[in-house]
Amino acid sequence: METDFETIEGKSTQFSVLLAILAVLALAGLYATYRMYVEGIYLSGMTNRIPWGLQVILAVFYIGLSAGSLVISSLYAIFGKKEYKPFARISVFLAFLFLVAALLSIISDWGRPDRIFEPFYHLNPLSMLSINPFLYNVYMLICLVYLWAMFKEKEKLVKIIAPIAVIWAIGVHSGTGAIFGFVPRELYQSALLPPSFIAAALSSGTALMILVLLLLFKVTRRPLDENLVVRLGKLLAIFIVIVMYFVFVENAYRLYMPVSHEAGMYFLFGGFHSWVFWGGLIILGSIVPAVILFNPATVKRIPWIVVSCVLVVFGVLCERYIIVIPGQTHAPDLFPNMVVVSSALAEGYVSYSISFYEVLQALGVVGIIGFAFVLGLKLFKMMPTEAKVLKESDSVKSPSEEKELEKQTVAS
Amino acid sequence: MERREFLKKSGVLLAGTACACALPLLPAAAKSINVDSENTAGKKWGMVIDLNKCAKDCNACLDACRKENNVAMHGDKRWDIHLIRKVTLKRKHPAESPEISVPLLCNHCERPPCAQACPVKATYKREDGIVIVDHHRCIGCRYCMISCPYNARFFNYRENHEWPNKDNTRSSHGVPESCNFCAHRLDKGKKPACVEACEEINAKALIFGDLNDPGSDVSKVIAGNHVRGIREDFGTKPKVLYIGL
Ligand code: SF4
Ligand code: SF4
Repeated sequence: METDFETIEGKSTQFSVLLAILAVLALAGLYATYRMYVEGIYLSGMTNRIPWGLQVILAVFYIGLSAGSLVISSLYAIFGKKEYKPFARISVFLAFLFLVAALLSIISDWGRPDRIFEPFYHLNPLSMLSINPFLYNVYMLICLVYLWAMFKEKEKLVKIIAPIAVIWAIGVHSGTGAIFGFVPRELYQSALLPPSFIAAALSSGTALMILVLLLLFKVTRRPLDENLVVRLGKLLAIFIVIVMYFVFVENAYRLYMPVSHEAGMYFLFGGFHSWVFWGGLIILGSIVPAVILFNPATVKRIPWIVVSCVLVVFGVLCERYIIVIPGQTHAPDLFPNMVVVSSALAEGYVSYSISFYEVLQALGVVGIIGFAFVLGLKLFKMMPTEAKVLKESDSVKSPSEEKELEKQTVAS
Repeated sequence: MERREFLKKSGVLLAGTACACALPLLPAAAKSINVDSENTAGKKWGMVIDLNKCAKDCNACLDACRKENNVAMHGDKRWDIHLIRKVTLKRKHPAESPEISVPLLCNHCERPPCAQACPVKATYKREDGIVIVDHHRCIGCRYCMISCPYNARFFNYRENHEWPNKDNTRSSHGVPESCNFCAHRLDKGKKPACVEACEEINAKALIFGDLNDPGSDVSKVIAGNHVRGIREDFGTKPKVLYIGL
């Protein structure tokens, strides 16, 4: 099956209005970052006890979405599932943009963003925060080459680069998990974080891709075969189960081990973050969508799939929150046999609240990335004319069959 | 034909990726950090805090530190900076045990997670064992604060307007801070400001010196007492040790 790609029209007033809104958001974010740069990041909700806040949560979230969207393109490029080819370009483009979003979030959060080139001169090969930017930069390069190969219809190059991209994405995710997992705090330190980051990335990325595709095809009035969405939905269901499995093992281990039992209890039942955990991740973000997607009656209905995708994305956002924040609000107990009577610093459990400026910064990143995405759709041929499940006649050929065919044509 | 070309291309790609992987390691490998003052060469600084001698209402070391290092007080627990701070503790059992007052500072861990974490080597361990922040290189990512399990690091969330000691620098906002054993004084052959202040009031609760030298005050105190660091089970090997904790 040949897939035709085209640009979107982008002449309607709605289109211009959308671009204008996104631009305003971007400016608001730049303004907030500028204020913080000049006056200090006390404008955020962060404190000496909570040095990482909303931007870090979102950065990790974006990185997850990035790998997830890359997987959709790999379905076509690696597994030869041609019916997914129409989505391939958009998904790689999104993967690239989400990574840019993650980097923007992190850098806007630095105390000294003006020293952005410092990491290039003085790299610390032992630091997870050094290894990761390197992984991210190469990943962005790979995405760009991948995109270019797809635009030029260089099928061979696409076939080579797709597995590299996916393997690299796995590295990116393990690395991101290690930023938290390799830190000596009870609620961070964990060898399970890298793999569970991959799982959460796959589920949130797939869910968001489904939403983006449905929205794009609807807004631009293109035909989209519902069966494709249903298949992706079934894939999503499996990812959800894997995420839940990791969450279960992690918490069971924490509760069981005497050294982290108290921290585990705090995590599960200790305050606002416990509501985020049970309500956001477990009930809304996992159980409800899993029930919808495993139920043969509901998984065939697009509105239900949309609901479960929204919930999954929300659930993974909650998961990012409960990875980043409780690990800081619960500090290691420095004096296990003592009670702290008084201290100049807030000892023990503390809380974190998101400030107005942090929200502005976050919206700014959404604005910049949204603007780039919409503009990209207009400038480059990314939108497929249609997407449908292949009929029997032009059904999927396995790569080996394809090679046979090519050989025959070459021979003749 | 097809296959050969495929192999060639993937080979080139793999080699390229491998080179790209190795590149950032080069400058990092070439760089090592030296201490050039003869007053610190060959030393390994450490401190013992004798809690039996530390009075609950005494703040001499804290005040001296603030003055010496131009440390900012903003009047807000969230952003105040304490290179050295005091906490009051009580044993859990028995319930009516006496309160003790404990000065806390950076432990100058022999295996510092903060320095492991710093992406640009702005936090590093000098050869004399001091863990220090280079304020001109730090990008303000705060990963060191996340990694320090002792809450020994503080961030300059706001601009600091006090500058009592013009001989020492004053950090801008956007970089973290922690005790550096007054490295600028050690390099000149002087003791840290807090230790000097504690000696001046004759409390002598802070004992500082070279751990490599068995004849130094600090080595003798360690040899003659039961000392321990905070949460040594972290494996960070603190070089600030306590008597009576
Ligand atoms: S106490 Fe904290 S800041 Fe000081 S060396 Fe150890 S980990 Fe680093
Ligand atoms: S805040 Fe500065 S010193 Fe700390 S890890 Fe980041 S760059 Fe290094």
